[in-house]
Amino acid sequence: MSIRQAIAARTALRVAAIVLLCTTPLAIRAQSLPDWNGIWIGEGLAAEISGFPGRNAPYKLLGNDAPWNEQGQARVQASRAVQSDKKANGWGFPLMMNSAAPLQFLITPRETLIINIYRDVRHVYTDGRKHPAEEDRWPTTWGDSVGRWEGETLVIDTVSVRKPDRYFFSNPPLSEQAHYVERLRMTGKDRIESVITIEDPLTLSKPWVVNLVYERAKGLDRLIHDDYDNDRSEVENGVFTIAPPKE
Amino acid sequence: MTAPRLLLSLVASGLALPLATHAHHSPAMFDGSKQLTLTGTVREFQWTNPHSYIQLVVKPENGPAQEWSLEMGANVYLYNLGWRPSTVKAGDKLTVTVAPLRSGKPGGLLVEAQTADGKSLGGGKP
Repeated sequence: MSIRQAIAARTALRVAAIVLLCTTPLAIRAQSLPDWNGIWIGEGLAAEISGFPGRNAPYKLLGNDAPWNEQGQARVQASRAVQSDKKANGWGFPLMMNSAAPLQFLITPRETLIINIYRDVRHVYTDGRKHPAEEDRWPTTWGDSVGRWEGETLVIDTVSVRKPDRYFFSNPPLSEQAHYVERLRMTGKDRIESVITIEDPLTLSKPWVVNLVYERAKGLDRLIHDDYDNDRSEVENGVFTIAPPKE
Repeated sequence: MTAPRLLLSLVASGLALPLATHAHHSPAMFDGSKQLTLTGTVREFQWTNPHSYIQLVVKPENGPAQEWSLEMGANVYLYNLGWRPSTVKAGDKLTVTVAPLRSGKPGGLLVEAQTADGKSLGGGKP
């Protein structure tokens, strides 16, 4: 290769790099994204051997303190009246963000995945896209989420969440018109803080703001998934009981 | 019992199971106002999902032996507390604290467990 050819090749590479840089959305350029590696659990929510967390566990998204309007209060009463013989396959949204189930935040330039041990998965797209048009989307258990990074803070905007207590009875009975905005930020090497603001014209009288904290799971270095290979909870006279073991 | 009454009784008993915090079923099946202490021999430890179970054979002073089904959290919850599939084995002697089934059947929610030499398996530090 002659000197002239070498210079031409180098110039072409530089031009290509500049074109790539200019045509790649800012949100997905190689950047210094936060590292939230590890497994996380809501503060004070790690389950004891019973499977329940201790007394006064801060389940802030159950809705006990939510500013329900009249319709919201009616939904709460109706939802809680029928919980005793219901089962759930996972936590769903929003309660998976305030649960005993360990979470992982997998951050990539184009999206952040939020996953728990029940295989609840949220795709938070950070590539600059917007929500699909209303006619192109429908309510789902985990909703449609888009996000953006404001420095070290991940801002998540979620819409089209199917009536949450349908999937898991403990979820707040918000409507499918609810709009959720979360702001998550690592505030210490073992601590992530989040503020979630929920607006719902059908069930809330004003925005419902909830502060959440995630701490590193003490005994988990990986997310372990398993199916329900031994579900012994059976309904008897309208209430669950424990079925005999399979021999 | 309605849900609010259940919560009150659980708080009063000191057990205080928060309502509806499993991702599997409601705790309404367990009577949180009672805490039974049982001593017996493990027949089987089921390290499973959505719940783990200890099958504990209890021999009362008067009467035949009875096998209790003791429900615990999912195996992954136990793993986070330091438990492993081998933490409890068939033949182990255990003393347990249980919130019994409302149905009166020999079963309940395992709240605490202690080995024969007094080592606590509850509280996350087996």
